[in-house]
Amino acid sequence: MLGQRLLPWDYGVRNLFRRPSRSALTLGGLTIVVLLVLVVVGFIRGLEQSLAATGNPNVVLVYALSSGADIENSSIPGRTPALLSASVDGVRRRHGVEYVSPELYLGTRVATAGMSEPGMGLVRGVTTAAPLVRGQVQLAEGAWPQRGEVMVGRLAHSKLSAAKEDLAVGGKVTFDGQSWTISGVFKAAGSAFESEIWAPLEELQTVLKRQDLSMVAVSMESVDGVADVDLFCRERIDLELKAVAESSYYASMQKHYKPVRMLGWVVVALVAGSGIFAGLNTMYGAVVGRIRELATLQALGFRRRAILLTLVQEATLLACAAAILACVAGIWLVDGTAVRFTMGAFMLSVDSVGIAVACGVAALLGVVGALPPAVKAMRLPVVEAIKSI
Amino acid sequence: MSMTATRTLCFTLAAIASGAATLSVGCGSATGSSASAPTAATKVDASRYTLAEEPEGAMGVIDARDSVEDGASLVLVGRVGGAANPWVDGRAAFTLLDPSMSVVANGEDSGSSELCLDDCCAVDRQKCTTLVKVVDATGKIVPVDSRELFGLKVSDMVVVKGTAQKDRSGNFVMLASGVYIRN
Repeated sequence: MLGQRLLPWDYGVRNLFRRPSRSALTLGGLTIVVLLVLVVVGFIRGLEQSLAATGNPNVVLVYALSSGADIENSSIPGRTPALLSASVDGVRRRHGVEYVSPELYLGTRVATAGMSEPGMGLVRGVTTAAPLVRGQVQLAEGAWPQRGEVMVGRLAHSKLSAAKEDLAVGGKVTFDGQSWTISGVFKAAGSAFESEIWAPLEELQTVLKRQDLSMVAVSMESVDGVADVDLFCRERIDLELKAVAESSYYASMQKHYKPVRMLGWVVVALVAGSGIFAGLNTMYGAVVGRIRELATLQALGFRRRAILLTLVQEATLLACAAAILACVAGIWLVDGTAVRFTMGAFMLSVDSVGIAVACGVAALLGVVGALPPAVKAMRLPVVEAIKSI
Repeated sequence: MSMTATRTLCFTLAAIASGAATLSVGCGSATGSSASAPTAATKVDASRYTLAEEPEGAMGVIDARDSVEDGASLVLVGRVGGAANPWVDGRAAFTLLDPSMSVVANGEDSGSSELCLDDCCAVDRQKCTTLVKVVDATGKIVPVDSRELFGLKVSDMVVVKGTAQKDRSGNFVMLASGVYIRN
C-alpha cells in the first residue's frame, strides 16, 4: 500500500524549513534570476508599448518626400495644413474644428537650471489642434503653454538626463537662445510624446526664424481616409509631400528596433539558462546531503517516483516563492523606471506578459533544476545509500 | 502514482484536448464565414474598367507631361512602378513609369534611361512618372486596390485610356476610364 502512495505534501514543505539557510540562499538566487528575466522582458515590453501607443491608425503624418523616415529633417510649406483641409475629404471635424495639427519638430540642446551641460532634447512646436489629433495626450499638471511657456512630457527629464525636479511646473528650460517657463506636465499613455517638450508653434517658428513646418498630423474620420491623403500627396508632386499612417510609421520603427528586442529575448534565454545551471548546482548540493534520508524513505517502502516528485515539489515551491518575490520587487522597483533611447524615453513595463514569462521561467527552474540531481540520487542502491555519509 | 492521480491526469489531458478541439472548430467556422463575405473587389465589376483590346495612339509619360493639355483625351503607356511603393492602398491608383525608363537598384550607377528609387533620383522620377487614377463615370476614384481589381504587379506594362489632368504647378495625373494589361 505504501509503495503506491505519494509522500505527504507537508513532508516537502517541512523539508524546506528544516534547512532554513540553504533554502533562503536558494530562494535568493532564484529570485535574482527571475528578477533579471523580469527586467529584460520589462525593457522589451516597454519599448514595444511605447512605439505601439504612439501610432494611431486614423492619423496620417504628412512630411517631406526627401526626408526619408526622419521627420526631424523634414521641411514642408507652411500652407500645407490649409491645402490638406481644403483638398481632402474625410478629415475629422467636430464643432467646426478640423483635426489637423501643424507641427515643427526638432532635436536640440536643452538646458535646465540644475544641469551642468545641456542635454539633447526633442522639441515640438504645436497648436491647440495637437491634443485633438494626439488623443492620448493628457495634461497631468499645470496649464497649456502660453507665450514664453512650454509644457513637458513626464519622461522629458529622462531624455535630457536631468533631475525630475528641474522640469517641474514653474521651472525654466533654455533652448535655441531663449528661456521658457514650464507651464505644465503632460502624459501620453506611455507613447514617445512623453519624452518631448511642447512649445507654441508660432513662437517657436519666430525663435528659430523658420516659416516652414516639419509635418502635419491629420486625423481622419476612418482608417480608409488615409488613402485619400496619400493620393493627395502623390497628385501634388510640386509640394513634395509624403503621407504615412502614424501606425505604419511607428510600426516601421518597431522593425528598426527588432534586433534590440531579439537581443533582449536572447538575454532572457541566457539568464534563464544560467539560472537553471545555478539551480542545478544548488539542488545537487541539497540532494547529495539527503541521500541517507532518501534511501530511508525507499527502505520504508516509498517508490522512487514518489520521492522524485517530492524533490521536484520542494524545488518548485522555492521557485514559485522566488517568482512571487521577484514580481513584487519588479512591480515595486522596476515598473515605470524611465529608460532613455534614441527616439526619446520609455518606461520599463512589468505587465502580464512579463509576469507570465517570469513565472514560466521560475517553474522551469524548479522542475528542470530538480530533476537531474534527484534522478542521480535515486539511482544509488538503497543499502549503499543508507551507508553513505 | 496512485490510480486516482493517474485518472485525474487522464481527465485533465482529455479536457485540454477537447478544449483545443473546440477552439479549432470555432476558428475554422469563423474563417469559413469570412471567406464567403463579399470583398470590395467583388462589389466592383472589374470588367467595366478593363479594356479588351489595346487602344491605339499610346504615348509615354515623358511626352504626355510635355505636350498634353489639361482635360485632353489621352492614351498612355508605361510600366507600373517608378516609386518605392507604386500602390495606393484601397484605391484603384498606381504610379506609372515611362516605358523608355528602367529602375536600377539603389546606389547603382544609372544611365540616362535609368533611375533608382532613392532620394538622389527623386527629381528625375517626377519627370518620367505619373499617377494613374481609375475613375468611374462620375469621376470618382474606384475604391478598390488596383492589385485586387486588375491583378496588377510591379513592372507590368499597361496601356491606360482616359483624360489628362494638369495644373499650372506642373502636376499631371491620368484619370483612367480603362486599363489594358499588355503582359
